[in-house]
Amino acid sequence: MAPHMARHAIIPRTAPFGDTERASLDAVLGAASPIQRAWLAGFLAGLDASGAPQAAAAPAAPPKAAEPLTILFASESGNSETLANDMAKLARKNGFKPKVVDFADLEIASLAGEKRIVAIAATWGEGEPPARATRAYNELMGDGAPRLDGVSFGVLSLGDTSYAEFCAIGKALDARFEALGGTRAHERADLDLDFETPAAAWIKDTLKALAPPPSADNVVAVDFAARAAGDEDDVEPSREPRVVEVIDHVNLNSSRSDKETIHIALEFEDGAPAYEPGDSLEIYPENDPALVDEILAATGLAGDVALRQALLAERDITTLSATTVERFVKATGHGEAQKLIDSGEAKAWIEGRHLIDLIQSFPAAITAEHLNTITRPLPPRAYSIASSRKEVGDEVHLVIAAVRYETHGRARSGVASTHVADRIKNGAKLRVKLKPNRHFRLPQDPATDIIMVGPGTGVAPFRAFVQERRAVEAPGRAWLFFGDRHFTHDFLYQLEWQEALEDGSLTQIDVAFSRDQPEKIYVQDRIAQHAKELVAWLDGGASFYVCGDATRMAKDVRGAVVKAYQDVKALSPADAEAAVAALERAHRYQQDVY
Amino acid sequence: MADKTTTRTYETPPTDRPISDAEAARAAGLAANEHIKIASGYLRGTLADGLLKHATGAISEDDGQLVKFHGMYLQDDRDIRAERTKKKLEKAYSFMIRLRIAGGVVTPKQWLALDEIATTYAGGALRATTRQTFQYHGVIKSNLKRTMAAIDATLLDTIAACGDVNRNVMAATNPAQTGAHKAAYQLAKDISDSLLPKTSAWREIWLDGERVVGGEEVAEVEPVYGKTYLPRKFKTVVAVPPSNEVDIFAHDLGFIAILDKKGKVTGWNVTVGGGMGMTHGETDTFPRTADVMCFVKPEDALKAAEAVMTVQRDWGNRKVRKNARLKYTIERYGLAAFRAEVEKRVGKKLDDPKPFTFTGNGDRYGWTEGDDGRHHLTLYVASGRIKDYPDGGPQLLTGLRRIAEVHQGDFRLTGNQNVIIANVPAEKRAEIEALVDQYGMMKGASALRRNSMACVALPTCGLALAESERYLPSLMDELEASLASHGLQDDEITIRMTGCPNGCARPFIAEIGLVGRGPERYHLYLGAAFDGSRLGKLYAEDVTAAEIKTHLDPLFAAYARNKQAGERFGDYLIRDGYVTRTVNGPDFHDSTGALKSAA
Repeated sequence: MAPHMARHAIIPRTAPFGDTERASLDAVLGAASPIQRAWLAGFLAGLDASGAPQAAAAPAAPPKAAEPLTILFASESGNSETLANDMAKLARKNGFKPKVVDFADLEIASLAGEKRIVAIAATWGEGEPPARATRAYNELMGDGAPRLDGVSFGVLSLGDTSYAEFCAIGKALDARFEALGGTRAHERADLDLDFETPAAAWIKDTLKALAPPPSADNVVAVDFAARAAGDEDDVEPSREPRVVEVIDHVNLNSSRSDKETIHIALEFEDGAPAYEPGDSLEIYPENDPALVDEILAATGLAGDVALRQALLAERDITTLSATTVERFVKATGHGEAQKLIDSGEAKAWIEGRHLIDLIQSFPAAITAEHLNTITRPLPPRAYSIASSRKEVGDEVHLVIAAVRYETHGRARSGVASTHVADRIKNGAKLRVKLKPNRHFRLPQDPATDIIMVGPGTGVAPFRAFVQERRAVEAPGRAWLFFGDRHFTHDFLYQLEWQEALEDGSLTQIDVAFSRDQPEKIYVQDRIAQHAKELVAWLDGGASFYVCGDATRMAKDVRGAVVKAYQDVKALSPADAEAAVAALERAHRYQQDVY
Repeated sequence: MADKTTTRTYETPPTDRPISDAEAARAAGLAANEHIKIASGYLRGTLADGLLKHATGAISEDDGQLVKFHGMYLQDDRDIRAERTKKKLEKAYSFMIRLRIAGGVVTPKQWLALDEIATTYAGGALRATTRQTFQYHGVIKSNLKRTMAAIDATLLDTIAACGDVNRNVMAATNPAQTGAHKAAYQLAKDISDSLLPKTSAWREIWLDGERVVGGEEVAEVEPVYGKTYLPRKFKTVVAVPPSNEVDIFAHDLGFIAILDKKGKVTGWNVTVGGGMGMTHGETDTFPRTADVMCFVKPEDALKAAEAVMTVQRDWGNRKVRKNARLKYTIERYGLAAFRAEVEKRVGKKLDDPKPFTFTGNGDRYGWTEGDDGRHHLTLYVASGRIKDYPDGGPQLLTGLRRIAEVHQGDFRLTGNQNVIIANVPAEKRAEIEALVDQYGMMKGASALRRNSMACVALPTCGLALAESERYLPSLMDELEASLASHGLQDDEITIRMTGCPNGCARPFIAEIGLVGRGPERYHLYLGAAFDGSRLGKLYAEDVTAAEIKTHLDPLFAAYARNKQAGERFGDYLIRDGYVTRTVNGPDFHDSTGALKSAA
């Protein structure tokens, strides 16, 4: 035990204890978990505050109330939520009593009584809030928002500089809190995809800024109830990427298709992480070597082996944002590029263009260092997992559509998707990281019916759902809406759905192939056709899931469900909307969209 | 022919009606298709439910048999079959839909509608078949009902275009003989109408028509066919000599117009028992040319047609499906007994056949003028595929569409997969000619090509063992060169290729018949008659594609050297002893092979 104790010596020699006491305390505290230590801290604080000794087994007397802090998050992919939980943890250590609230569950009236508010908000698509946050966000922006006089606040916004409306939601919230009378405790930070390090710094600084001035009353205290509630968050996956082997790689589209959708099976050598149906897996892609070489050639840096490697695997060498242009001008002092910014035309110019266009259009002497400052780190790309561990063991299956298009006379390709489609074969290795999504989960009760809407690669999590429900022999019914371009050439996992219908893990499938007939047919049209049946399923307690395109499909599907309520139940548009909103708040209408 | 039939002994024909009770059918050991028909509720099966199974582009196996009666075949794209399972996709299923167009007559308005259906649902090509109708390929299940509704809107349908029923009735198109042609067309139309199945299943399933209450319970829903329809397919044609363009000897039932000196039809010779299909390696199956059985007066023709069909209905072999066609019935019971039964059902003795002469079974290309002053233009359509050919080829689809927009007459599909722009008034001829030129529709085709036919085969036909339509053009390139080298470029020789021995392009009565055996392998049949009245003989087995020309070139050389005036290629090969003459079906498999070297 001696070495063990030594390793965990905690009590400093300067502490007002004798050596034996110190050793005893070290023995206890050194082996204690963070939870145990925190409990003791609170207990001792409460012990003194209550002024009377308690029976040893009883919990501490009411501890001194900690400083309340409400952390709101508006999350689509889970990043904001993770940060909110991180912040709560750190806040707790620093004497706050944090409360983490999802915008999806937020009653805005409750904000009026708050003392401190932190909002961590993601921006999606063309400057929109995450789907689940939309309702509360709109309420907050509307006339019914409460005054926030006397409230200290801070806003952390997440976004993607490759979109024009970068961090629009965070910016709007920041302005709104101020307009409602709040006091900004700390400056907003607008973070790009490489948010992790700056976010940690912002959280630390913001907590400092929100802390009350030191006084005799400011004793560290622990709210036992709050801790208990937070415990489940402590179980989280490793944040380090893992290396997996590709053991299956198939283009699911027929050779006659104009699409290319890759199914890959990845094997974790030391056991797959404990993923659940609904979770995503992040892939750390590499850039197209041809593009890397083109950039190196354009910048006269060909031959720099280390730089080439960095550009291949570490830097985002495609995205072109206003920030990129600014950094480029700063690095190169390029007059023409400066004019582009000054004339206000930069925003229009970058539309559809990539870094290579900038470098080629404005030739300048560029160093490896410049390239590093101009580009951002290459972000991982998350894909919804298309398998259940109960069926595939230590594998993870993904289904990835190769993104290829042309703009400004140049062929473009999605970094991660074409990395997988073109440059990965069976036996290749990939770096990946699990990205849980607890907002996209099968119902607790396997007897609950599920309705799944997943056109294209949006079908991925539903393959996982169906596998899972088959494995647990779930008695609930399952109804899938799938769509793509052509029945014959683009029916992803067709044979598997046929088997699932056969074995009962899928009850019904309705399909919408947009280009098989003169008029376009989409999943929302099939929903409309089956409105009566759909509402009957939902009335019977079914959960509804949508996965796939956020900009149009998910909205159209939601619209179709609202319309179904309206038509089938003869509701007013507002009442039908309320019915669907109620489903969302009951977590029976869940989305995983991108 | 006569010698052979009279010296044989025949079985005694059955006297009872076909079994239509499921249990009795099983007890009697009837073929599987008979059970399916009996259980189908007059061709309904589970088709309606099958259309609602959205996860598959197929239908059930039994429904796959029934859907033929509705004019469809379930097929799949065999070109991409190999990759499908790995991609977690089922076979690339689609449907072939065949129309019923008696006599092959289509109005311009119908043409435009059929063109639009092809463009919208069937890959942009109309295919004229070897039996005077159109078929569509590649219609996926989810588009079936739309396609059928669109066909229905043209006032055409697909009922009985396939299946064990009287199929599309062909009629001579020879428009120069206006009176005879009109009579032939009218007879074809009357037979088509009167022998059409009466079940409402087609309308009910494809057009969401009302289901007749208790439909399947009413015994008389199919007064002629009954629950079990015919033992096998039944094909009827009407010919007007001297043209045998309808290939009358290849059909179950035929009518040959007998004309008086003024060209008026005085009656019809009735032919029975022709058919092409056989199975490789099974000598109890064979192609057979029809017998000319009797002569009927115009007023008895329809009655005779029904009698022939119902005798086959009652006598046809329902236990062994491969021997179920009328040709085997006649071989089994004898022509005399068959004729006697037909006469009994018609209710009178029928005369012996009258003399007639056929000069060929091809089409007359180019313009002809009818005796009513109307003009007709026959266009060559390679393998019946009406499409816009690439690389400066004829723009048939677009060109015919333009013509249909201004044409005041009608269109006729021929049994040789060609198209006639018919009944053009004299004053419109120049306008039509200009369009024909503009779209390159009369680009010269060689004599060989003009006398060629190929079935669809790969990739859609499930029966194909080898390529046909996609391969014949390049084979003909080689053979044309060979023929030209012997000075035979203007000789008309019939050449037909099929991907399997079922014989859709009637290869066994072509002077050069090529029948698929396996990938790039064909049986080569020679010695058939130019007018389609005599079967060829197996000359060389399992010939590779590369060897076909090697076999034929020396024969062309010998023919060029030794032919007599007007002597046809098939006749020459028999006369000069290269191949045995086939009398008819029963000796088709005898004395095969080359009799001497053609070096």
